[in-house]
Amino acid sequence: MTSLVDLFTSLFRSKPRLKPAELQTAFRSHYKEFRSLLTANNNALELMAEMEQVLGAGRSFGMAFIRGNCTALTVNIYKMIRHLSKLSDGRYGALDQSFRDITRQLELVIASPPVTTEGAVILSMAEVDAGMVDQVGEKMANLGEVRNRVGLRTPDGFVITAAAGRHFTQANDLEVEINRRLKGLDFDNMEELYTVSAGIQALIVNAPLPKDLEEAILAHHQQVVTDKDSELLVALRSSALGEDSSNVSFAGQYRTQLNVSREFVGQAYKEIMAGKYKSQVIVYRQQRGYRHQDVHMCVGCLHMVDAVVSGVLYSRAPDDPRSRFVMIQAAPGLASHVVDGSGATEQFMVSRTPPYALLDFQSGVGQADGGVDSLPTLTALQTAELAEVGVRLEEHFGTPQDVEWSIDKAGLLYILQSRPLGRPAAEELSEPKGHGIREDDLPSPLLVGGVCASRGVACGKVFNVRSSLDLLRFPKGAVLVVETPYPDWASLLDRASAVISETGQMAAHLATVAREFGIPAIFGMNQALTTLGNYRLITVDATAGKVYDGRVESLLALALPKPNLMVGSPVYKILVAAMEYITPLTLTDPASPFFKPDSCQTLHDLTRYCHEKAVVEMFKFGERYGFDDKAAKQLVVDAPSQWWVIDLDDGFSSDFDPESRYVDLGHIVSVPMLAIWQGMTAFPWAGPPPVSLRGFGSIIFQSTRNPGLDPGVRSTMAAKNYFLISKNFCNLSVRLGYHFALVEANLGEYLTENYVNFQFKGGAADENRRLLRIRLISDILNEFGFRVEQKADSMTARIEKKPGSFLLERLKILGYLIIHTRQIDMVMGDEGMIAQYRQKITADLHILLDNAEMEG
Amino acid sequence: MAESSILVIDDEQEFVSTLVRRLRKRGWESEGVLTGGEAIVKIAAGDFSVVLLDMRLPDMDGSEVLREIMKINPQTRVIILTGHASASEGEEGIRNGAFDYLIKPVEFETLLEKLQAAKKRSP
Repeated sequence: MTSLVDLFTSLFRSKPRLKPAELQTAFRSHYKEFRSLLTANNNALELMAEMEQVLGAGRSFGMAFIRGNCTALTVNIYKMIRHLSKLSDGRYGALDQSFRDITRQLELVIASPPVTTEGAVILSMAEVDAGMVDQVGEKMANLGEVRNRVGLRTPDGFVITAAAGRHFTQANDLEVEINRRLKGLDFDNMEELYTVSAGIQALIVNAPLPKDLEEAILAHHQQVVTDKDSELLVALRSSALGEDSSNVSFAGQYRTQLNVSREFVGQAYKEIMAGKYKSQVIVYRQQRGYRHQDVHMCVGCLHMVDAVVSGVLYSRAPDDPRSRFVMIQAAPGLASHVVDGSGATEQFMVSRTPPYALLDFQSGVGQADGGVDSLPTLTALQTAELAEVGVRLEEHFGTPQDVEWSIDKAGLLYILQSRPLGRPAAEELSEPKGHGIREDDLPSPLLVGGVCASRGVACGKVFNVRSSLDLLRFPKGAVLVVETPYPDWASLLDRASAVISETGQMAAHLATVAREFGIPAIFGMNQALTTLGNYRLITVDATAGKVYDGRVESLLALALPKPNLMVGSPVYKILVAAMEYITPLTLTDPASPFFKPDSCQTLHDLTRYCHEKAVVEMFKFGERYGFDDKAAKQLVVDAPSQWWVIDLDDGFSSDFDPESRYVDLGHIVSVPMLAIWQGMTAFPWAGPPPVSLRGFGSIIFQSTRNPGLDPGVRSTMAAKNYFLISKNFCNLSVRLGYHFALVEANLGEYLTENYVNFQFKGGAADENRRLLRIRLISDILNEFGFRVEQKADSMTARIEKKPGSFLLERLKILGYLIIHTRQIDMVMGDEGMIAQYRQKITADLHILLDNAEMEG
Repeated sequence: MAESSILVIDDEQEFVSTLVRRLRKRGWESEGVLTGGEAIVKIAAGDFSVVLLDMRLPDMDGSEVLREIMKINPQTRVIILTGHASASEGEEGIRNGAFDYLIKPVEFETLLEKLQAAKKRSP
C-alpha cells in the first residue's frame, strides 16, 4: 500500500505550483475559514458544556434557555459544516444530511406538544374521579374521588374542563399573543414581570367567552341552583393539571373566587384562567421547570359552603411524615383565612386511632399578640370526625394528605380539597431538630420565637414588604420581612434569602412554597418588623427560631444546599431528551471506518467530525493546490531540522530571501513561535530513549521510533511538523506517534483578540495510562492559569484575553510540555514515576519562567 | 352622593363597568369614568371617599389627575391601580398623596380589603 506520505508527496509534484505570493493569498483565505471553524467549534463546545452544567447544578431554566442554546448550537455547527466545505472545496457534502436529520429530531423534542385530552367542556362533580385528572385537573379529580369513591361530603357543583379552556383560548387566538409577550421576559426585572403579567391577564379577561361555552356554564349553574336556594353563591376554584403533585404546590398561587353570583360566573372563570399568568406563578413555573403550555387551567364551580368554622388538616405533621397524630388548624369562617396566612388559627393534635383523642390544643397560632384565650372552635366530636376523615383519605390515596375543610351552620363537614402532603427532603428528615452548636458559642439573638415554617439558615439584609410598591423594589438576596405571609409574596421567593413573618403558621401557602424552594422561614415571629427595622444585615436560623445581628458564620456553615427544583419537571425532561441528540460522542476514533458523516448521531459527533477533518484539510492544503516547495521552509537550527515553517504573512524578517529553501531561526520574527521554540529547547529531552543531541529534529523523529505503530493517523503531519506563522500568530501542529498536539496563539492589537489554545490527545499506551498522562498535563496547566477541559484521552486548554507577556510565558510552557511529555504515558502505570515526572516538570518550568523573569 | 362612594377611573370600559357592578353588588356605592377630565369634574362636584386611579389615561397622565384630586380634596383616598408596574411612578404617587399602590389585576376580595382599609382611614 502506498503510504500517505508518498501520496502527499506525489500530489505535491503533480499539481501546478502556486507562487509564494499566490500561496499566501490562498492560504490566508483557507486559514480564515479554519480559524472561523475553530471559533464555531469552541462556541459549540461551550454551549454544550453550559447545557450539561445546568442539568446538574439545579439552576432554573425555561424553554427559552433550551431553545436559545439549541439554536445557537445548531447555528455554530452549521457554520462549521460551511467552513469545512469551503476548506475542502465542497467535499463532505454528506454532512448536510446528517445535520438535517439530527436537527429535525432535536426540533421534534423541543417542540414536543403537551398531552391534551379531548372531552366534555363541563363535567358534573357527580361524574368526576381521580382517573379524570387530564380533563379536570388534579384538585377537582381528587375532590371527585373524595366524593364519589371515598363517599365523603363535598360541595355540589361542576368542573369547567381543560377542553373548555382550550376552546376559550383558541376561539380568541390568545396563545400566539401570550407567547409573544412572554418571550424574552427578564425575570430579574420585577417591573417588567408585573407589567407583562398584567397585560396578559387583561388580554384574557377582556376576551369574550365563546357563546356555546357561556351557555353551557350557565346551564350547569342553573342545575346547581335548582338543587339549592335561588340566589346561589358559588366558589370558583382553579384546578390546573399538575398543580397539586407532591412537592409541586402550585396550589394557592392560582385564584379562588368566593361568593360569586350568577352574573359574574363567566367573568370569574376568565379571571381564574388569567391567574395562570400571575407574576408569582410565572416565576414559580420558571423555577420549577414548567412550560406555560404544560399547565392547563380547569375550574371547579362549587356551591359556597356557609362555613361556621374551616381549616386545614394534615393526616400527619407536615414536617414529620412519621408522626402519629393528625394535625388540625381551624379558624372561624372560611378556610381561606387559614391558607392565605392572614388569620390566627387554633391548632389541634389528634390521635390517629379511634377514638381519636385530642392530644394537644393551642390557640392563637400565628397571631402576633399570641391570641386571646377563648373556647376552641371545634368540639371533641368534630376533631375526632376530622381525624378519622384524615386517616381515611390517607389510606385511600396511599400517602399523607393535606386537606381543606369547612363545617356549615348545620354542623355538616365538607371536604374542599385533598392533596398529597409535600414531603420534606430526605436530608431534612434525618436532620435533628437542633444544629448542635452550643448556645454559648453564638451571639445573643435579636429575636427568638415563632414557628419554623421552613428549615434552614441564611443571611441577608432585612427588607420590609408592605405593599406592591415594595415588591418592585425588593433587592436580590434580601430577607423578606412581612406582617402577613400573603401568597402574593411568593413572587419574591426566587429573590429572597429567608422569610420572616409576624403572623401565619405552617399551613400558610407561602410556607409551602418556602419549604419547596428550600428558603428558611420563620412565621408568627412577634415584633419582627419593629425590632429588625429595614436594611439591617441579619442571620436567620429558622430551624431554631432565632434571628441574629450580622453574619454568623458558624451557623451559615450549616446551611443546606438549595434543592434542585427542576428535576423531573417537563422542561427538565425536554432538556434531558434533547441532550440525547446533543452531547453523546459516538465518533471517537478518527481511524475507525465508521468515522464518516453518516455515522454522526449527535451534534457533538458533527463538531468532532468537522474539527478533525478541518485539521486534516488545513494541513492538506498543499495537496490540493500544489505546494510550491518554496512556501514551506525547512527550519535550520545548526543543521536542517524536521520542522517546517510557512509564512502566512509577515512571520519572516524583511531581509529573508524568499527563494531560499531553508529558514534560519534568526529570520523568524513570529513572537509566539519564538516563545514556543524557547520552551521546546530550554532543556534537553531526558528520554526515553536516550538520544544524541545531533539536532533537534532528529530527537523528535527518534522518539517516534517505530513509524509502523502509526497506521491510524491519516495525516501528512506524520512526516512533517509545521509552524504556520505571522508576526503575531502561530499555529503549530505536532503529530508524534500516537499523540497529537496543537498549539495556536494570537497576540492581537486588543486584549480581546489574545488567546492561546492547546489541544492534546491520543497516546500509545493503554487508556488508563493515557488518562494519567492527560491528568498530569491538565494539573500542570491548571496551575499556570489555563482553563482545562478533559474528555476521555483528549484535553483542551485555553487562555484568553490576557496580556501578551503573560501568554508568551504560557507558550514556553506548552513548548516544553510538547517535548517533555512524549511517551511518558508508557510509564504512567507507576506512581513513583508519575511523581518523579511531576516534580521534574514543575521544577523545570519554574526555572524556565524565572529565567524569563530575570531576562525581563 | 353617599359618603362612602367609590370612583373608578380607567380607560378600559369593560373593566370599569364590571368592577362598578361588582362593587355595587357588594353594597359599595360606586361610579366609573374613562378619562381624567371626567374624573376631575366628578370629584369637584361629588364627594368620593375612595378613588381607584389608573395611571395611563387617554387625556391626562395619572399623576396629573392625582395632583388635581389632591388640590380639590386632600382628604380623598386615592388608590393607584395600574397595569404598568413602575417603582418610581409608585413612589411619586405616594409622595403626591396616594393612599396605596396596586398592580393589576387585584383579586376582587383583596380589592375589597384595600377599600375597607382606605375607607377606615378616611377622615
